[in-house]
Amino acid sequence: MLDIRVGEKGEIVLSGRFDASQAVTAETFMAALSESRNVDVGDLQYVSSAGLGVLLATQKRLMATGHALRLVNVRGHVREVLHYSGFDQIFEIEAAPPAS
Amino acid sequence: MAESLEQAEQRTFPRTAACLPEIFAFMDGFFAHAGIGSEHRMPMQFVVEEWFTNLVKYSRGGKHDILFELRRLDGRLVMSLTDFGVERFDIRETKDVDVTLDLKDRKPGGLGIHLLKRMVDNIGYEYVDGRSTTTFVKELE
Repeated sequence: MLDIRVGEKGEIVLSGRFDASQAVTAETFMAALSESRNVDVGDLQYVSSAGLGVLLATQKRLMATGHALRLVNVRGHVREVLHYSGFDQIFEIEAAPPAS
Repeated sequence: MAESLEQAEQRTFPRTAACLPEIFAFMDGFFAHAGIGSEHRMPMQFVVEEWFTNLVKYSRGGKHDILFELRRLDGRLVMSLTDFGVERFDIRETKDVDVTLDLKDRKPGGLGIHLLKRMVDNIGYEYVDGRSTTTFVKELE
C-alpha cells in the first residue's frame, strides 16, 4: 500500500510500496502539484516502473513551467532503481544519510 | 554426489494489476519457506511485477489466468510466468531503453523490462501451442 501526503515543510512524503496497483492514486495526487517540491522517499520501500512513470510525467509537466521535483532521503532498492533508470540525470537526488 | 533439494510452489492469478499484493504475499511466503535472503525480496518482486503487468497489458489474445511458478534448486531461484492462448512474445528480443536521454526525449514504456533484465542472471523463453512461458533465473549465492 502507498501512503502519500504533504509533510510539515510542504514536502511530499511517499511511504510504503509504489507499484502498479497504486499508480492511479499517486497520479491524482501529483496532478494537483504546480510548484517545485521535495519528495521524501526515505520510507518508500519499493518502486516499480509504474511509480517511475508517475514521477517522470510529473517532472516533465513541472519543468515546462520552470519547476521541478527533488527526491530526498533516497536509499536501498529505490536508490538502485533510480540509478539504473538514469533518473539521477533527470532529478536532483539527495541520498539518505548513512544509518547510525 | 550431493542430492539436490528442490522446493517449488505454483499458483494462478487473474490478469489484473489489482492482484499484485496477492502475488507479493505468495512470493514472501515462498521466500521464507525456501530460506531466500531478504536482499532478494524487492528486486525479485520488481521483476515479477514488471513482467506480470506487461502480460496483462500487452499479451495478444490473453484471456486466461496467468500461472506463476517459484522454484529453488540449490543456490538458484527460478521464477516462471506462463500465459495461455496468446501469441509468441520473447522478452529477450526486446530492445533496451536509452536511459541517458534528456527528459524531453524520454517516453513512457519499456523501462520496466530494461530494468528487470538487469536484476536477474538469466532469462529463458518457451512457446508451445499458445502456451508462452518466460523464466527468470537468479543466482542466490
